Amino acid sequence: MTAAPVSPAGVRRARWRLRVRNARAFGRRYAARTDGVVGAAILVFFAALALAPALFVGPLQTVTIATAGALEPPSSAHLLGTDEVGRDLLNLTVHGARVSMVIGLLATLITILLGAIIGIVSGFVGGRSDQVLMRFTDFFLVLPTFVLAIVLAPLILDIVGTDAEVFGIRATLMVIIVVIGVTSWASTARVIRSQTLSVRERMFVDRARVIGGSRAHIMRRHILPNVVNLIVANTVLTFAGAIFTETTLSFIGLGDPFAPSWGQLLNAAQGSGAPGLGAWWYIAPPAFCVVVVILAFTLVGNALDDVLNPKAGIRR
Amino acid sequence: MSARYLARQSAQAAFTIVMIVLLNFLLFRMMPGSPDRVNPRNPNITAEQREAAKARWGLDKPLIPDQLVAFVGSTLQGDLGYSMKFQGQSVVKVIGDRFWPTILLIGLAELIAIVLGLALGAYTGWRRGGLADRIGNGLSLILYSMPYFVIGMPLIIIFAAGLGLFPTSGMLTAGASYDGPLDFLADLVSHLVLPVATISLGLIGGYSILMRSSVTETRAEDYIATARAKGLTDGKILRSHAIPNALLPAVTLIAINLGYVVGGAITAEIVFNWPGLGTLTVDALNSRDYPVLQGIFLFLGVSVVVANFAADVVYGYLDPRVRR
Repeated sequence: MTAAPVSPAGVRRARWRLRVRNARAFGRRYAARTDGVVGAAILVFFAALALAPALFVGPLQTVTIATAGALEPPSSAHLLGTDEVGRDLLNLTVHGARVSMVIGLLATLITILLGAIIGIVSGFVGGRSDQVLMRFTDFFLVLPTFVLAIVLAPLILDIVGTDAEVFGIRATLMVIIVVIGVTSWASTARVIRSQTLSVRERMFVDRARVIGGSRAHIMRRHILPNVVNLIVANTVLTFAGAIFTETTLSFIGLGDPFAPSWGQLLNAAQGSGAPGLGAWWYIAPPAFCVVVVILAFTLVGNALDDVLNPKAGIRR
Repeated sequence: MSARYLARQSAQAAFTIVMIVLLNFLLFRMMPGSPDRVNPRNPNITAEQREAAKARWGLDKPLIPDQLVAFVGSTLQGDLGYSMKFQGQSVVKVIGDRFWPTILLIGLAELIAIVLGLALGAYTGWRRGGLADRIGNGLSLILYSMPYFVIGMPLIIIFAAGLGLFPTSGMLTAGASYDGPLDFLADLVSHLVLPVATISLGLIGGYSILMRSSVTETRAEDYIATARAKGLTDGKILRSHAIPNALLPAVTLIAINLGYVVGGAITAEIVFNWPGLGTLTVDALNSRDYPVLQGIFLFLGVSVVVANFAADVVYGYLDPRVRR
């Protein structure tokens, strides 16, 4: 029997073909999930709004350039009515998409980064470090993190000041991002750790160790690719949670009036007494967007979880 | 129940409470406004006066151990300091005044949500894949995606501002005088309806999703097949075999979550201006009343830990498999 000729280029080609085949299989299985497809379509729509809000409704209206009357109901000039200082609500809601989505995205990145690193290191290294890290994780799991966020946010704001800018993002928003990130990584770390524990026992990890791979190398090249499915599904679900928390924190007054997210708009609506005045057009647009976006992320996350996570299929 | 299981659970609860107190201590030190930072701007205050102020507050002593010991000591004695906004009132009294309205509101809402949420979840889980499941589960997912204030504001617009059936805010009509206890109760109930409905609706989605997956798992068990083979009716199997077994994990998870509901329902209190811990939290937040904020954090943190501990112990007692 003659061995097949093995060349680096051949290996690369084979690997590439495998990837394409996997991606196609994933695409077919995902397309079969109607809820996931609907959720993804909704997210594409809102991503377009968030990418170029000015394209759809012009620049963000401010108090100084608003021309309409206060709390006008929807009309042909203002399709969704106006707020208490005469700004167009369609304009505000579309621009709110960008603020809400950007905060959600950055907070999710922090959460997943912290959760994945702590989960993989804890699960792979094991021993004393695992115990310490998991006690720490359990503490954050038990803690009412939403209340911790309420305590932390004003504290950090008082220390750094509201006028500062970090990476071109206003400090108020940055504080919300960081606070959501540091208070919500614990469940991600738990999930990733348990998957790491099972991947660690597989044969290829032993082989990598035998040929002299360092721990950092094994974690990066052998563990990470095998938990990445879990990370993807978790990211989407975390995104839903981040937008939920951002909306709530902004609603209780931790948002930035100069970069209004949907939660901030609802805060302004509550502050101007819109519910008691029956001004439904002030509340309906941002509230609708929040619910639809969170729902879409949940649908996509659940669908991804079922498609990517082999264990989830057996449960059903 | 094994002593080891109990000991492990208590150790974990105690560790968490110690961490919460330590975190509170750290947050207090980070907070802006020490004499050193505030007074240099004032030319009339001499260095000696500044030192005297620091000595009076114990800030001249080292952070660890002196300040930490003093902080932990007074926390253990129930001394959480004084509110900055409500001057002259202790944090314990400020929180205590707002405790019962919140318990009343959340307690009622929880009761309704548990009954309705579990019933909805059991039914949709049993009829998994059918039309009732698709509608019920869709409804649960939508409710689960709604923050409390997103539920509460439309309720006010429709039932308070629009139809005028219920008052828009508060716990009692301001300045009302009552003819008797029944009159008082009627006023209280009419103020309660909308906020209780808001929190219940917010909770039902999560509870129903939980119970649905629990019933789905139970449905695949062998004893269900046995019951079916015996010729029991579908409803009978659901009532006497599926629900009792599915209830345990669902109720445990709900018990664990009880402590978090108070924190989550803050926004519902804001929308209805309910005089509870939620409005107190946001008032303290807006006036930067740090001692009250930290008191609330300590109080809610410890309640969550205690609720967790109780749920773990009861679960360990009911289900021997977790008692390793």
